[in-house]
Amino acid sequence: MGNVERCDKTLPVNEMIFYVRRDAALRARWLSDLEGLAREFGLSCEEYEAVRDKDVRRLNEMGVHQYYIPQILRLFYGASANSNSHPALEAYRRAYPDEAAAAERLLRISARREG
Amino acid sequence: MARTVAAMAMTHSPGLTGWFDRAPEDQQVEARRALDEMRERLQAARPDVIVLVSNDHLLNWPINNTPEYTVGIGPEHVGPADWYDEWLALEKYRIPGHPALARYLVNEGARRRLAFAYLRDMQFDDGVSVPMHYLNSKGEIPLVPVTMNCTVPPIPTPARAYEVGTVLGDMLRDYPGAERIAVIATGGLSHEPGGPRYFWVDEEFDRWFLGLLKQGDHAALLRECTLERMEAAGSGGTAELLAWILTLAFTSGPAEVLAYMPAVAWRSGTGMVVWPDVKN
Repeated sequence: MGNVERCDKTLPVNEMIFYVRRDAALRARWLSDLEGLAREFGLSCEEYEAVRDKDVRRLNEMGVHQYYIPQILRLFYGASANSNSHPALEAYRRAYPDEAAAAERLLRISARREG
Repeated sequence: MARTVAAMAMTHSPGLTGWFDRAPEDQQVEARRALDEMRERLQAARPDVIVLVSNDHLLNWPINNTPEYTVGIGPEHVGPADWYDEWLALEKYRIPGHPALARYLVNEGARRRLAFAYLRDMQFDDGVSVPMHYLNSKGEIPLVPVTMNCTVPPIPTPARAYEVGTVLGDMLRDYPGAERIAVIATGGLSHEPGGPRYFWVDEEFDRWFLGLLKQGDHAALLRECTLERMEAAGSGGTAELLAWILTLAFTSGPAEVLAYMPAVAWRSGTGMVVWPDVKN
């Protein structure tokens, strides 16, 4: 099966993101007191550091649900004009350069075909 | 008894509203044309209610308790959820619900061994907000949203989605009302939201899948389009097509593909489909 099967449903960070996304006060605290928030939700040190470092690859490998990883980045960077050049998505290019390069080749081929 | 008067499916990629203009112009033109046509066909079918089948993007239920299907039973649906406002670049919308039909689905579903969870105040992400923006922007057609899980393991199989669609169709036919119902699936095509292939679109898979819909042979589609095949074409996202497969159970014969775009800029294979023949 695919990457989504890596998800560890019992990982505290997977619970935390659900509640933070739905609550404006928690979203503000994400930016002002991430460490305290992580402690309250029971994140391990490793989980907290991967979130703090916006480390896409480490988050994926430890079992954060893949859908939540860009949401974590959006909590830091905001969500407007979330195109592929958005800083939140640059973190993906760094984490998965081969996959990102393949997609960019695809985009160029598609643009040529249409042009 | 209620009647199904339209069956349709479309991509709900947030790029379709949030960063529409970042795609090549040809794709923008094609998407607009297909969405206009979908809306016109929907209006021509004169539905009294839309039953919209999408997936919940881990918004309504925490990961420790993810129902397979959830019905929004409230008298009014308000979206997008605050967290999605900025991302989707949409103003808040309000669409009337149809509590009688929605509550019937929950209770009658239980009698027919379908465990539908329900929410009185469902929150809405791209899965409902993007299609409603294009197809029902004034909220004139009441809505019954049905969300499913296609991203938290275990992911249901295509056969299961078709089975649920079949039972849902039977239930709607048995509903004690004269409503004209449009069934709209949203999601897909290939994409891998948040995974290593976040920017990837599997055009070969998408064209193959749409080809199966055009053939209209449901048994062949269920045999060939396995969950493993969908996951290989984009994990945790391509399986949104389970909503399309559920809707397939309301139809007979070939689908008409209004448009397909391998839209890397929107981070999703993007397509719009209608089925001319629905079962009643």
